[in-house]
Amino acid sequence: MTPLLKLTEVAKSFGAVQALDGVSFELRAGEVHAVVGENGAGKSTLIRIITGAHQPDRGTIEIAGQRVLHLTPATAHRLGIACIYQQPALFPDLTVAENIALRFEPTLAVRKINWPERRKRAARLLDEIGTALSPDAEMRSLSMPEQQLVEIACAVGASARIVIMDEPTASLTQQEVEHLFAVVRDLRRNGVGLIYISHRLEEVFALADRVTVLRDGKSVGTRQVRGSRGNEAQSNPSGIDRGPAASTETLSESELIRLMVGREVSQIYPPAEGDPGHVVLSLNGVGCAASGIKNVTLEVRAGEIVGLAGLVGAGRTELARVLFGLTPANAGEIFLNRQRVVISSPHEAVAHGIAYVPEDRRRHGVILEMPLAHNVTLAIHRRLFPGMWLRFGAERRLALDYIHNLAVKTRDPDAPVSSLSGGNQQKVALARWLATKPKLLILDEPTQGVDIGAKGEIHKIIRRLAKEGLAVLMISSDLPEVLGMSDRIAVMRDGTIAAILSGRSDGHEVMAVALGQK
Amino acid sequence: MKRHFRELSVAATLALLLLLLAFTAPTFFAKQQLLTTLTTAAPLLIAACGIALVVIARQIDISIGSQFAVCSIVAGLLAKAGLPMPVVALGAVTCGAFLGAFNGALIAGLGLPSIVVTLATMVTWREALRWWREGEFVKDLPEGFQWFGFGQAGGQVTILVGAALVFALVVFTMRHLAVGRFVYAVGSDRESARLAGLRPQWRTFSVFVALGGLVGFAALLNAIRFADVDPKTGTGLEMQAIGAAVVGGVAISGGRGNLWGVLWGVLLLSCIGPALVFLKIPPQWEKAIQGAIILLAVAAEGWKNRKQS
Amino acid sequence: MAALIIECLIFTRTGANFATRENALEIMKLSVEIGLLALVMTPVILTGGIDLSVGSLLGLCAICFGKFWRDAGISWPMAAALTLGIGALAGRMNALLITRLRLPALIVTLGSLSLFRGLAEAITRGVDNFTGFPTHFLAFGQGYYAGVIPAQVPVFAAVAIMVWLLVHRTTFGRSFRAIGFAPEGARYAGLPVERRIMLAYVLSGMIAALAAVIYVARVGQAKADAGTGYELLAITSVVLGGTSIFGGVGTVHGTLLGVGVLAVLKNGLTLSDQPSELAGILTGVLLIVVLAGEVVLKRISERKTSPRAALFTRKGG
Repeated sequence: MTPLLKLTEVAKSFGAVQALDGVSFELRAGEVHAVVGENGAGKSTLIRIITGAHQPDRGTIEIAGQRVLHLTPATAHRLGIACIYQQPALFPDLTVAENIALRFEPTLAVRKINWPERRKRAARLLDEIGTALSPDAEMRSLSMPEQQLVEIACAVGASARIVIMDEPTASLTQQEVEHLFAVVRDLRRNGVGLIYISHRLEEVFALADRVTVLRDGKSVGTRQVRGSRGNEAQSNPSGIDRGPAASTETLSESELIRLMVGREVSQIYPPAEGDPGHVVLSLNGVGCAASGIKNVTLEVRAGEIVGLAGLVGAGRTELARVLFGLTPANAGEIFLNRQRVVISSPHEAVAHGIAYVPEDRRRHGVILEMPLAHNVTLAIHRRLFPGMWLRFGAERRLALDYIHNLAVKTRDPDAPVSSLSGGNQQKVALARWLATKPKLLILDEPTQGVDIGAKGEIHKIIRRLAKEGLAVLMISSDLPEVLGMSDRIAVMRDGTIAAILSGRSDGHEVMAVALGQK
Repeated sequence: MKRHFRELSVAATLALLLLLLAFTAPTFFAKQQLLTTLTTAAPLLIAACGIALVVIARQIDISIGSQFAVCSIVAGLLAKAGLPMPVVALGAVTCGAFLGAFNGALIAGLGLPSIVVTLATMVTWREALRWWREGEFVKDLPEGFQWFGFGQAGGQVTILVGAALVFALVVFTMRHLAVGRFVYAVGSDRESARLAGLRPQWRTFSVFVALGGLVGFAALLNAIRFADVDPKTGTGLEMQAIGAAVVGGVAISGGRGNLWGVLWGVLLLSCIGPALVFLKIPPQWEKAIQGAIILLAVAAEGWKNRKQS
Repeated sequence: MAALIIECLIFTRTGANFATRENALEIMKLSVEIGLLALVMTPVILTGGIDLSVGSLLGLCAICFGKFWRDAGISWPMAAALTLGIGALAGRMNALLITRLRLPALIVTLGSLSLFRGLAEAITRGVDNFTGFPTHFLAFGQGYYAGVIPAQVPVFAAVAIMVWLLVHRTTFGRSFRAIGFAPEGARYAGLPVERRIMLAYVLSGMIAALAAVIYVARVGQAKADAGTGYELLAITSVVLGGTSIFGGVGTVHGTLLGVGVLAVLKNGLTLSDQPSELAGILTGVLLIVVLAGEVVLKRISERKTSPRAALFTRKGG
């Protein structure tokens, strides 16, 4: 049976960087083929080559047995290749119907538009996906998950035979993930081949038939995830319990990680030490109408890590933004070290000793164009530079200190932060906030998009900070991370705290509360 | 209804202004006066439509005033050389298109920021024109030039009809032709447009060429109102055109706005001048009032957006 | 920098009296007003904004100054102080619209450009013209210290030093750059973004007012069309000096060089008996050539070495 897609010895380099080095890959009809690998392993480049955005330096591409010499985005589209990115490539100012239409209509410029036809097609596709979105809605008004659904509608409508999904579940709620999995299984049943890229290993095991591991631009192996009986695994992708398939699968999680990293890495989290101290943060009935937060009551003590769990959309980041003054609270009271405070801007939050390492590292966590030292001192101008005069010596010393303490791997400290890897950028973001010597540190997805090695380092750093007396509130969608790092777990649902569980709870309990089943 | 809020509110303001005039200075609506107001507004409408295209594509062009002047002079000279009016018209439009293409090549081809490029070309064309003409008008034009040879009444009607046709053409293109929708897409998200195969570089280039051609046409419509061509014509056009477009709901951030709003914006701003005369307010207030209206319109949009997010 | 040197060399050959000390000082004297505008335009552009209204604001302030002095009978130092206040207020208005309502600076300052010029014309009814200023006032624009240095040059130097220190040696300058690179990122870092932007525009307005007073002193009269086109020259100077129109990148000394290039160009051409329009034409051409050159050179070097930045825009390599 000819594979839908076959790459043979494909290589691609960008200047001095060899992104892919002789990778061979094959996708069969009716299979979900996962691709995993650390950051920098070559996954993005692989996708770009398959979608025609880049041309390989050498190697061949065959689609349905036919060799394709020069694959461009237009050709790829024509050959039935569709890709659903994490950040959908859509037009915010246009309607859903027009967005969908622009995907399907030919790019010939001199052509009359048929508006009623556009609306009809959009309505039909949205219905097929099972969503109630209106074709006339402006793209800008849709939430991120809704935008992704539009993307999926496009892929379905394009009768794509090869569908690539790049980290599709990163910002979906549990229900939406279920929905997505159902759509994926549907497509698979219809003979579509899916390439599924994800950092979430539980999803790989729940969904994939085969998995290929990339490392340093090479393919280190393709393994069978489930037997050829193609069983429908229990769709509980975030749970630790993987159901009946787990016992007979051909690949174990630790083996998969070993393939990715090339060494044994234990997913052991640094243990808690000592008892928590005084109450640093105390929230009493805090609410913010604009962001949907209501009646939040919570305490965080010095030396403890409180994990903030919940589904996407439960309000965790929104709560962080309230505490940090981005969307100030309009109800309830916030106490810091037993003193009532009002926080109406990030500037004020910082002055009170609150630090927030945001979720969007590249846009909010660091300023990519500025060098490391400038990023690190960005929040402490008042303290490090009295009288507003810059002191380059002091700044450099501080930067070098943090490079050492946090083990930031950088070749040139004066180079813009954009030249660092994701994990190192996260360390710079962390350094910036640690420099403010905060009382409360709020972390929002601190290891998202960070490779396994750096992940472990960051976890150790967080635990060390807690031991030194910092109060830490950690938002994470990575359930193992929440369970492994937190002393207590606050589970949010619908904008409020549904329950506060012990750090020794298991995943089921947390998910149950998050889903509202308790 | 909600989507067209801007256009409707501008139309409403215009209606209010006209109502005010109807009571206080009804002679504003005398046929000749009305005709004059409209024919003065016609070139601005065409230019504003052109600039709207560029702004929707998320660019800007502040050189259209200088383009306008150059095209006017070219039209005059072509007429003086004895060429028939249709050729003169073609010449003016082509001249504008070339100037637009120059901008477009630098902006779309090299990726230079449009504000700086058009700043440079604005100064360059204006100064070059001044050097060439030394302030001299183009005089002794053949009879067929002014009013296309139809006499004032006929000429005015021709101007209005010509402007209306071009306006209709642009409205149709932006709404019902793919190329127009592509411009919206490029302005909304350039990278997505590239990925979708819409070729943003070509769209951007063609939008500047289109603007140039439209400015050339506007220059022609304006030039034929007079018996000679003033090289200082067109000063301040960019402000008026952009102002009218923005008032009419075209967003500077690109990707949105429709041309009917531009029409209302042009009419509103054009009626202020004559309205001041009829309301016996000193004419020097025109610029200040126009500026205030632009700021108000933009502020209102900003206020509305703020409440939403 | 190279352009400046080339210019000077060319004009020394072609111009009468170009390379003399008097001429150098003369160039400085005439470029003070635009130079001031360019200096304060730099922080504004660094924050990613732009101020198209400074030229019109200069005109409006000149008129206000004249009106305060002549029609309200206020002494000219007091009138100057009041004018500075007006400039600051105008800057504040621009800043409020830009920060509170999140409006693009381009469109706001385009509107205020019309508004200010319109107000200037309206106040003077298009014809009024303030003259007859006292001689010791005019000395500020027309006089010389020690018979050699034009009176406004020390003022310019003082402002230049102040702005340079502000941008390159204070946290304000650092904030401007951060805001220019990533306005949201700057907010997330706890920077008081609105206050910093306000500072940039208020400073721009105040210095525009100062330039207006110097202009009136130099020219001896205050007319409504004062400063027409100055904003364009200021922006050109800033961009020629290497500041990116998108914000974050740029230097004050670069702007000074840009001012110098334009001033020498105009002066040199005049002394070489060339028509004044040539200055404008060459300015436009120079701007395009410099920018285009940068892009072309960058493309050539990119083709040789570094990986395209686009590679790393998505998570996971």
